[in-house]
Amino acid sequence: MTWRFIDWIWHVRGSLPLAPEQSNDQAFDRLAPLFDQAGTSHDRNGDTLTFRKKDPAAQDKMSVFDSGVLRIDKGTAGPMLRYHLVSRALLFCFLAPLLFVAIAQLTVVLGTFQKPSTEATDAKKAAAKAAYMPLNPIDKALGAPAPEKPRKDDGGGRGHDKKPSPTSAYVFAAIFAALYVGGRVLEDRLVRTLFKRRLQG
Amino acid sequence: MDGIRVGNRVIGTQAPVTVGWENIPRVEGGPVKQFVFTWFQPTMLFALLAFWYYAPNSIAKASTAIGIGIAFKLLLLGLEWVNPRYESWQLTWKELVTDLFYVGLGYTLLRIVDNYIGSDVAIKAMQHAFHWDKLKWFTGLPLLVQAFLISFVFDFGQYWMHRGMHNWYPLWLPHSVHHYITQLNINKGAVGNPVELFLIGLGVGGFFDFLPRAALIAGAFGMAIGTYQHINVRFNSPRWWRYLFNTTEHHSLHHSQDYESTRSNYSGSYIFIDRMFGTCIDGEAELLGMEGGRRMSIREQMTYPFSEGWKTLKARFARADAMLAVPAE
Repeated sequence: MTWRFIDWIWHVRGSLPLAPEQSNDQAFDRLAPLFDQAGTSHDRNGDTLTFRKKDPAAQDKMSVFDSGVLRIDKGTAGPMLRYHLVSRALLFCFLAPLLFVAIAQLTVVLGTFQKPSTEATDAKKAAAKAAYMPLNPIDKALGAPAPEKPRKDDGGGRGHDKKPSPTSAYVFAAIFAALYVGGRVLEDRLVRTLFKRRLQG
Repeated sequence: MDGIRVGNRVIGTQAPVTVGWENIPRVEGGPVKQFVFTWFQPTMLFALLAFWYYAPNSIAKASTAIGIGIAFKLLLLGLEWVNPRYESWQLTWKELVTDLFYVGLGYTLLRIVDNYIGSDVAIKAMQHAFHWDKLKWFTGLPLLVQAFLISFVFDFGQYWMHRGMHNWYPLWLPHSVHHYITQLNINKGAVGNPVELFLIGLGVGGFFDFLPRAALIAGAFGMAIGTYQHINVRFNSPRWWRYLFNTTEHHSLHHSQDYESTRSNYSGSYIFIDRMFGTCIDGEAELLGMEGGRRMSIREQMTYPFSEGWKTLKARFARADAMLAVPAE
């Protein structure tokens, strides 16, 4: 199996038809401002432009990509810009759900190690001691609900023996899975539109 | 750049900043938009206070607070879309993913760590050790007074922790990562090295006992005021609001590429704490970050305090060795 079967996860490929009269230099000149950004280096060699980015600013329109190659093919149907862009951010987002599932598992494992709190008995004693907490007369007059009386079976130790819940980690795993799908489609379209607009001037 | 004299210091010599409320742009648009973006912040604050004050006990729970917190952030994300402060701060997919990664860590890993060594554990231990049951009188105060005191004591602690981070190198190292962000969005408060996120989370809401409802109202103060530190929305905040509370304007200045500006506006919610200690500057900045706006990758954000600290230590010991090697004359 080659990487090609799975590298679509973080590699974005596409092509755009160029105007028949547009030369390689003209096309790359129009795209040049996109690579004239802080942390971006690029190299033009005939029909090929390669670029590399290091720590691009959030304001960089292509900040999601770390490197890429743009090539102009002179096909029978006219010149064509073919691009191949690499994004570690997409790969990171693709893998993030695994990280959060691992965190969820860690939470469950740590929960099994958690012994019933020794404070529970202390807390029960404390609760027995704790007087009923009355509302301030001002709050009573303004109509704020009075606090609940401590329940006997509650023992005042609310939360003491509660095991950490893995739910939030699972929720974030789902959020990142959704973000990946959205991002893979969105960034593909955005970069296509960006190149198209630039090439049309 | 000439900079502007503010009190004893000159700010804006390294990067452009705006100083003075009269120089800050106002919301552009029709009367409805003006009205909404003038009164949104106070309305939300008072609505939340009223909700938590009157909500029946069955609703006034931490889980409701989490739900409201998420809904509020979604609403603010919508406002960022409708009325951005700066186009250059507009949220991108990559920024959103990065921000949410840190929000996710905060809800999961950091929560586990806090469970073992966080401030709540320390406070409980101290209350237990010193038999501070005597402070139970606090629960008899009016709810809003309890809530304000909890949030004020917490913010007062945050102010000094944050100021410490800007003045003491070992604390600056983990905090510096947060200053590499180049735009402000609602989840940017969560971005930073986990060590810093743990340190800044060491909140001491006081050693008092308090009614659960007071803690929820204190949370509402934090949410309806502190959230606006990092947000890309242009508001016409009322004069009294910006006098008392931290705003995006204040916090953008704190994140400016101008070094002197970053040494201001340290509080989280109550900017009057900065006014009390002479560190408040009223103004704003668009150009944010460090090293001319270099954005750190997540990998570097994780390792930077340690690698940078190691480099500093090595340099210091190398200097000491070199000095020892020089024969005395």
